[in-house]
Amino acid sequence: MAKRPGGELATRPLHFIWICDCSGSMSVDGKIQQLNYAIGNAIPDMQRVADENPNADILVRAVRFSSGAQWHIDQPVPVKDFKWPDLTSGGVTDMGKALTMVAEQLKQLTERGLPPVLVLVSDGQPTDNFEDGLKTLMSQPWGKKAVRISIAIGEDADTGVLQKFIGNTEFKPLQANNAETLVRYIKWVSTAVLQSASSPASQSPDAASVNSNVPVPTPPDNNESSSSVNDVW
Amino acid sequence: MSEEPTASTWGAFGVSVRGASHQRSGLPNQDSIQWYPRRPGRYGPPLVMVVSDGHGSAKSFRSDVGSEIAAKRTRETVRQLLKSEIVSSHPSIIKRLIDERLPRDLVQNWRKAVDKHISENPFKDDEFARLEKKEGILACKKVQENPYLAYGATLLVVLISKNFIYFLQLGDGDILIVTDNGEVIRPLPKDDRLIANETTSLSQRLAWQEFRSSFIPLADFPPALILLSSDGYSNSFRDEESFLKVGRDFLDLMQNEGSKMVWYNLHNWLHEASQLGSGDDISLGVIYRKDVVQPVDVNNLDAESAEVDNCLDAPLEDNSNDNARSYYA
Repeated sequence: MAKRPGGELATRPLHFIWICDCSGSMSVDGKIQQLNYAIGNAIPDMQRVADENPNADILVRAVRFSSGAQWHIDQPVPVKDFKWPDLTSGGVTDMGKALTMVAEQLKQLTERGLPPVLVLVSDGQPTDNFEDGLKTLMSQPWGKKAVRISIAIGEDADTGVLQKFIGNTEFKPLQANNAETLVRYIKWVSTAVLQSASSPASQSPDAASVNSNVPVPTPPDNNESSSSVNDVW
Repeated sequence: MSEEPTASTWGAFGVSVRGASHQRSGLPNQDSIQWYPRRPGRYGPPLVMVVSDGHGSAKSFRSDVGSEIAAKRTRETVRQLLKSEIVSSHPSIIKRLIDERLPRDLVQNWRKAVDKHISENPFKDDEFARLEKKEGILACKKVQENPYLAYGATLLVVLISKNFIYFLQLGDGDILIVTDNGEVIRPLPKDDRLIANETTSLSQRLAWQEFRSSFIPLADFPPALILLSSDGYSNSFRDEESFLKVGRDFLDLMQNEGSKMVWYNLHNWLHEASQLGSGDDISLGVIYRKDVVQPVDVNNLDAESAEVDNCLDAPLEDNSNDNARSYYA
């Protein structure tokens, strides 16, 4: 075949970012251990989705927040190489700072990328200026267009804040009141949501959800949506 | 007062390939491409090239039909326009008249044809069942409220008369001009709103207001090439520079290797770009000024000529767009 016109070809980057609450309360009743287990356990599923969607270059990283916020995985890691270093807990809940840090990274994404997926996991209430952090995130074009999912761990989580993060009343924060439910939701985010974000399908503004161009699949049933004898958090 | 006609004549060819991701999922090619004149040995002006990209999302479950309707209806609407007295007006009048009328006409004609398609092919329960399974009942409600969503598609149009070139765009995709010295220019600036797979669409309310246009009088420096492509092509390159390089490369190849070689290789090039790049369907229309490249020898294109003739007025219901096709005129 004759020389192909144009420069280098490349698959489209898809940034997947975990935003994890590591405040002191996450140490209660093994929440942080279960979160570590759930994310680590979902890695093979993420890798399977990546294999099935070779035209999406899935890159994973994570930010943790407690007293302040830090990148837990600071460089985007190709999903085939992704490993989950366990989080530890302690401190307060500076969620706004974490969102600001994510916004800084989203500024640097190229316009040809697929919509990023941001997953916020928290068991409590922000102790810093959450509104400012969210405003900074939403001031970024990629922040607005990101697929934003939130998971509330336990009954003390501030679902109002997690709903604001989603920014779309069609979708509610996922409520995980026990380890089994948390694992199920983390797996769903790592597979169904990732699969949906990997598609090159376009959406017109009136077909899209309020903020995101990626249709969020129906979450798995939570049989413990009210309360359950299995609930521990 | 009209300007003196230029001596330029123009040829065109194009290809649409099914994307790698659609091959994996079993979804047909959602792109369509049409142009005029299409019969071998005929050249413009008038010349029309249209590329339409069906959204391919779960809600736009008939967007392959939507894009085909868009490409065919647009080609015919623009042909009628180019036959009218408007094109012999003063350039400023032409631009204003086209700006005012064409987007409305294109949207209206597309909607009429979609209405007809729906009346002859009502939505089926299983189409909504699949949509509900993927996106829930609210997604079904959105399509029921606005049935055009099911057919959603973009539109890229270039029309060339003796005196001017007019560029029109609704939604994502790219139009590039290549000058005689290989400089590559976008006649329409990129729409910053269109990131993260968002696109404006024929299916949206007041779609005609979302068209962007540009008008170039042909009196001075007519382009050597004009390329129209669906967004699957530019999304397959690592960056903007790598994509814009196609303009210069196409001109070099068509001047040094011949446009026939380009035409014969085009399908494989686009297929490779989708495989190693975006995975999306890719359509590319090439318009060339006949005096700057070596036109193809139409005597050697009997088979292709027959294919073109068979497809010229194919009914909208045909499935010929499911597979890659290429024609030359």
